[in-house]
Amino acid sequence: MKRFLLIAAGTVGGLGAVLSVTPPQLGATDLGLGLDMGTLTTAETPAQTPTVVQNTPATSAPTQSATNPSTNNPTASTQTSAPVPAQTQATTPTANSINGTFTGPVVDVSYGNVQVQITVTNGKITDAQALIAPTGKNDKYTKMSLPTLRQQTLAAQSTSIQGVSGASYTTYGWRKSLQGAMVKAGL
Amino acid sequence: MRTQHEIEVWGTVVFIDVTSDIDIEPAITTVKQYVQKVDELFSTYKESSIISQLRRGEIEIEHCPPEVIEVWDLCAFVKELTEGAFDPWAVAGGFDPSGLVKGWAADNCAEILLAAGAEHIQVNAAGDLALRGGFTPEQPWSIGVVNPDNRLEILQTFEISDGAIATSGTFERGAHINDPHTGMIAIGAKSATVIGPIGAIADALATALMVAGRDGAVWFTTPELSEYSAWVIDRHEKVAWSIGPATA
Repeated sequence: MKRFLLIAAGTVGGLGAVLSVTPPQLGATDLGLGLDMGTLTTAETPAQTPTVVQNTPATSAPTQSATNPSTNNPTASTQTSAPVPAQTQATTPTANSINGTFTGPVVDVSYGNVQVQITVTNGKITDAQALIAPTGKNDKYTKMSLPTLRQQTLAAQSTSIQGVSGASYTTYGWRKSLQGAMVKAGL
Repeated sequence: MRTQHEIEVWGTVVFIDVTSDIDIEPAITTVKQYVQKVDELFSTYKESSIISQLRRGEIEIEHCPPEVIEVWDLCAFVKELTEGAFDPWAVAGGFDPSGLVKGWAADNCAEILLAAGAEHIQVNAAGDLALRGGFTPEQPWSIGVVNPDNRLEILQTFEISDGAIATSGTFERGAHINDPHTGMIAIGAKSATVIGPIGAIADALATALMVAGRDGAVWFTTPELSEYSAWVIDRHEKVAWSIGPATA
């Protein structure tokens, strides 16, 4: 097994060495400005997998797949089970008429509980708050992350990121509770 | 149809985002069984696991299941490449491949789904991701790397169609990486992200960069790692450095 690995890596590596003759470079990037990471260039697509291209940083940080693909565009089906608030006007109800606050389930995230409440206006999430957030030794992280999660939830409705490297328990609890709130809202 | 699944295992959560024309549920069931098997083999928290038996000296590596031997060999490969910065044998209590197994298992989960006929696959094992087939036929997966000082702020994104991305950091689940040379908490970097074709190697390299910091840049100039890239945030300075084709 080991021998096979070394041979395979050697073969691939040999090809890579032919393709790449540039000397090693350390690209320094100033993190002082947070999201403003300085000039980023798009790399040429490597000849071999993985196909990796560096992107400019996202200006907003959406939750990791917090929404289903269909979330942005709720179909105008006449589901009577959807918890649409009582119609006080005689207008034809559509999916965009969803308004109100909806509370997700309490989710255990190993060091505490997370519960998310969303505010929906005309079928879009306009606010997301934690009714319950973990406390204790990870409180520092929670305090930092909750405002960002809130932003992510709002941004997720027009998102461009599908995954996050370095995710955490809190993300999971937030997403889980958020999903419950969205189901309640009929989103 | 695109579906999303969450599996609680290994003391964390494995998140799966998969698009498939066929019914993917049977393959998801297979993945769930697989991750449980990985837990039975590799959990250092379970006294009955193969890895725990190995650590206690009750079993020799030659007599372990092939998965354990494969991981053992991968660990040896990365240990050599990183000149010992990644050294699962130097861990207190004996051989502990935890710094490699999540990336390795994520790859295998993705392969199970691919073999079952899924077209677009993301397996996210608590920050170690395996990706296959892009997000769509035209669009790669776009994966964000979080700020270690604010875990849910995205500092950088990488687009990957097929391959792996792994991030190691002191921010996730506490300071869990020790320098094998000193036994002290690793201080080479605040956060290390590695992108490359093989998840196990990307995962282990991210762990090793937490130990070696900038000294690890040279590994990526070797032929063996010409397809791998690193994006690393320094421990003490608010500076990131990068190397490799994905960060050119």
